[in-house]
Amino acid sequence: MKSRPISLQRRLGVGLTLGLVVLWLTITLLIAAMLTKTLNKALDSSLEEVAQRMLSLAVVEIFNRETPDLLQQVVALHPHDEYITYLVRSADGTPLLQSHAVDAAVFPAKPQLGLRTRATHRLYGASAVSGTIFIEVAEPLASRNQALRQSLKLLLLPLIFLVPLSLLGIWLFVGYSLGGVKAYRNALEVRGANDLTPVVANNLPTEILPIAEAVNHLLARLRFTLEAERSFTANSAHELRTPLAAALAQVQRLRHEAPNSTFKKRIIRIEKSLEELANLSEKLLQLAKADLGEFLVATPYDLGQILGYLVDELSLEAKARVKLFLPEAKQVTSLVDPDALAILMRNLIENALKHGAANQPVEVHLTIEGVLRVINAGPIVPAEDMQHLTERFVRSKTLASGSGLGLAIAQTIALGVGTKLVLYSPARGREDGFEASLKLL
Amino acid sequence: MRLLLVEDSVSLGEAVREQITDTGYAVDWMQCLAHAQTSVATTDYDLILLDLLLPDGKGLDFLKELRQAGNTTPVIILTALDQLTDRIAGLNAGADDYLVKPFDLEELSARVAAVARRSSGNPSPIIQLKDLKVDLVSRAITRGETCINLTAKEWAVFEALLQHLGVLLSRTQLEDSLYAFGAEIESNAVEVHISRLRKKLGHDLIETVRGMGYRLVKQ
Repeated sequence: MKSRPISLQRRLGVGLTLGLVVLWLTITLLIAAMLTKTLNKALDSSLEEVAQRMLSLAVVEIFNRETPDLLQQVVALHPHDEYITYLVRSADGTPLLQSHAVDAAVFPAKPQLGLRTRATHRLYGASAVSGTIFIEVAEPLASRNQALRQSLKLLLLPLIFLVPLSLLGIWLFVGYSLGGVKAYRNALEVRGANDLTPVVANNLPTEILPIAEAVNHLLARLRFTLEAERSFTANSAHELRTPLAAALAQVQRLRHEAPNSTFKKRIIRIEKSLEELANLSEKLLQLAKADLGEFLVATPYDLGQILGYLVDELSLEAKARVKLFLPEAKQVTSLVDPDALAILMRNLIENALKHGAANQPVEVHLTIEGVLRVINAGPIVPAEDMQHLTERFVRSKTLASGSGLGLAIAQTIALGVGTKLVLYSPARGREDGFEASLKLL
Repeated sequence: MRLLLVEDSVSLGEAVREQITDTGYAVDWMQCLAHAQTSVATTDYDLILLDLLLPDGKGLDFLKELRQAGNTTPVIILTALDQLTDRIAGLNAGADDYLVKPFDLEELSARVAAVARRSSGNPSPIIQLKDLKVDLVSRAITRGETCINLTAKEWAVFEALLQHLGVLLSRTQLEDSLYAFGAEIESNAVEVHISRLRKKLGHDLIETVRGMGYRLVKQ
């Protein structure tokens, strides 16, 4: 199944918001990296400063003792958490002085100089008195990481508000900006399939405007082409009729004057061929007109009256066979182009006259609901032939002359007016014959 | 019966004229509207066969003018316009019937006869006239079981009288009905044919109004 296309508004809303989030996260990571570097530099410097300051004080303290090798632990003036601890030792690692909450496991067995990182702490070591007294200051890494985490949290916190606000803002702004495009889309949607007038394109973005201009250009070309085709069909119909009528009339006169002989038989064949040519050219032009598909008129008219005219147009012989049944009380009005409908109905009636039993009437029913039924007596058309009868140039298995276009023309017009030609054989309510039915309202 | 044919196609006009003439009607054939207007102004026609698209104008305009002027001569339109609405417009403009080109000449003859019958006030093709039964379609006259044969010229005169049953027709009007059989009409042609008709159909059927003309007596 083909997925439904995603709207531009949604695409822009989601896309821009995702872009914003990625950008924000990248900046946050950069800031975090810079912050880590600066924080470490500042804290390392503090660690060095503390170590060097503490070492000078420790050396004075140790030298002023009565027993220098005795470990002394400095008592806290006030109870507090001790982040920075220190340990003063001799070169062999003997502790001489330490802060009150020192953890000996944090420090290496023997004192070392300079900055370094151990599993849980950052250490700095310095020495004095010709390398006999060493101090090491330790700062837990957890406190540095916590500071970094808190900074990152503060940087990421705005995203919680930024994402929905950005989505909403972009949604509204894009929606407002696409107002012209939506109006254009609506204008295209509401117009009928046969409306080929230019589409009004106001407030369209410059990116879309060329498309609207191209569409209007295409519509104009289509209009011109259809108009040319329509004009050709109408002119051809008219221009062909008179010479055909003249040729047929001359041949009929010739037949009338010719003696009964082979010569007369040939004239009759020519006359027959001319009639077939006239019929075929008319059907082809009707088909062209049906394919053009412009079937609506502004003023409703009475379908029964049109049917009456059509029956009147038939030859006197054919007219005698057609029985017309119209609703008695009320008119059946329609907005379908009467000329197109006349072609449709005429083809159905001619089909029934041509293929129906010659001595039986053709019934034409129009109901108050606008259902047209054309029924003729005759043999049943096999089911396998029925489905092909509305195909172009398909003729039933009959000796009657015909173009094989009548029902195809009727079906094309029926589809063009939004209805469907339904064929039955035997006709409904009968045991033989053929029926063509369609709803015209 | 005298017809006016207005048709610009020489080939079609010629064939139609021959066909109508063969049927026993006199035909004046004009190929443009200007000539048709002159003909209508100078001659009383019983029927007009009118093409719609002519070199100097539209047949429909000619028809409207005709009707506006009060002329009620029956008109059959011969049209090449294929739209039903165009054809209906012809009827609305005052035409009595129309035929779409190409048409069968026999069909044309039948339509001409039907319109002529309708305009004469008797749309039925069978007319009972005293003891005579006249079939206008098959042109057969019977008295009981006996069939009476008329020549084409006799039929033309008889039909002209029949079209105007009970109405006085002048000798000139009856001569018009013989026009189809050649431009040269003998000065006493009408009298000769009336005399023959009386012999065949009965002496009391056609009444002479001295100095005025003839009329077919109603039942």
